[in-house]
Amino acid sequence: MNDDRIDELLARGARDYNEPGPIPRDAMWARIQAERAARPVAGAPSRSRPMWIWPSMAAAAAVILAAGVIIGRRLERTPAPVQSVAARAKPEPAPSDSQSARAAAGPAAATTDQDSLIQQLRAETRNTGRRARDLAAATHAPARDAQQAPEPSLAYHLVVLQHLAGSEAMITAFRTAARRGEMDAQLASWSRELLATTRLLEASSATQDPTMKRLLEDLDLVIAQIVQYATHGTNNSEELDLIEQSITTRGVIAKLRGTASARTSAAGT
Amino acid sequence: MTEATNPQPHPRLLERELVSRCLAQDALAERALYDAHVERIYRLMHRMAGDADLAADFTQETFIRAFERLEQFRGDSSLATWLHTIAVSVALNGMRKVKRIQARTEVIDDVPSLATEAFRFTGDLKARLHAAIDALSEKLRPVFVMHDVEGYTHEEIAGSLGIPVGTSKARLFDARAKLRLALAAFAGDHIV
Repeated sequence: MNDDRIDELLARGARDYNEPGPIPRDAMWARIQAERAARPVAGAPSRSRPMWIWPSMAAAAAVILAAGVIIGRRLERTPAPVQSVAARAKPEPAPSDSQSARAAAGPAAATTDQDSLIQQLRAETRNTGRRARDLAAATHAPARDAQQAPEPSLAYHLVVLQHLAGSEAMITAFRTAARRGEMDAQLASWSRELLATTRLLEASSATQDPTMKRLLEDLDLVIAQIVQYATHGTNNSEELDLIEQSITTRGVIAKLRGTASARTSAAGT
Repeated sequence: MTEATNPQPHPRLLERELVSRCLAQDALAERALYDAHVERIYRLMHRMAGDADLAADFTQETFIRAFERLEQFRGDSSLATWLHTIAVSVALNGMRKVKRIQARTEVIDDVPSLATEAFRFTGDLKARLHAAIDALSEKLRPVFVMHDVEGYTHEEIAGSLGIPVGTSKARLFDARAKLRLALAAFAGDHIV
C-alpha cells in the first residue's frame, strides 16, 4: 500500500475518531450552575465591621458621591444625544442631597449607617458601569445623521472621572480592610464591578489620551489583583505585599487623585 | 453619497463587553458566553476522552474554572483560545486520573511503541487507527485531534497549548508519521 493510500485512509478514519453525539447543553449548564453555587466563596462576609474602617470609607464615600454630583451637573449641560445616554444610564435614583451630606459629613455620620454607605458606594459604581456600557453602545450604534451623532468625549470624560473616584474609594477600603484581615464578599463584588468598568473603558475612546490609557492599564492590574485576593479571601501577607507593591510602584493612588483633580478642574467644576 | 457605516462592533469589543458583564455577575451574559463556546469545547473534550460522561465532566469543569478565573482574562488572546487552554489542561489532567484509576483496577499492559509492536489484529482498519490515535503520546495526540479530527488551525492549537506554531506543525508531522507506520504495518499484513 503506497503513502497516498495510507494518507487517504488516515484522513478518512480519523474523521469519526471518538465522534461526539448530541451535546447535553442544558444539562451541563444546570450542573455548572449547581456546582458554582455549591462552591463557597472564601472569605464570607463578616457581619461585625470594626469601627476603624469607617472613617476611611466615609472619606471615600464623600469623594465618590461628590464626583457623582459633579457628573450629574455636567451631564445636564451636555448636548441632547449624550443627555439621553445619561438618562438611560440612571435606572437607580441618584443619591439625595441628604445622603450626600450625610456621607460628606465625616466619620461620625458615616458610622450611623454603615451598610447603606457601602451599598451606596457600590450603587454609584454600578451606575458608572451602566453609563460606560451605554456610551460604548452609543458609540458603536450607526449614526442616523452625522449632525446628530453624539460626541462621546465629554461624556466619557465624566464617566472616567467618577470611575476614578470609585476606584480610589475601593482601593482605600481594600488596603485598610486587608491589613486587618477583614476581607469580605461585598469588597470582592465591588472590586469585580470596578474591574468590569475599567476594562470597558480601556476599550473605549477614553484611551485616546495616553495618560488615561496608562492609568486604566495600571488600574486594571491592581484591581484584578484585588479581585483575586478578595475572592479567595485568604489572608496571605505575601499576596498582599504584591498588591501593595503594585499600588506603590505604579503610583496608582497619586495618579488617581492627580487625574481626578485635574479633570474636575478641566470640566469647569 | 453617505458613507456606509458598519453597525456591528468589532468581535473583540463584543467579547470584552461580554466578559465585563460576566464579571459583573450578569447571568444572561454568562449563559451567552457558555452558548457561544460550549459546542466546540464539548466536541474536543469528547474526541479527547472518547466517552460522553467524561466529555460532559471536562466541559463543565472547563466552564466552572473559566468563570472562576475570568478576571484573569486580559484579552491578549481570544476568549476561545483562553477557554481552550483551560479545556485542554482539564482534559489532560482528567485523562491522567482516569488512566491511574484504570491501572489500579485492571491489569493493563503498557501502551507499546507503535513502531516496534507486533500488531494484534482485533478489528478493522479503522479500529486499528483509532487504537493508534489513542496510543499517541500526550504531546502528539491533542495536536493531531485538534488539527486532523476537529479542524483547528495551527495558530489556534499553538494558542491553546501554549506552544509555538512551529512546534504544533512538528508534532502533527510526528503524529501522522506514527499513525502511517501503524497503518502501513497493519495494511502490510491484512490488505493486499
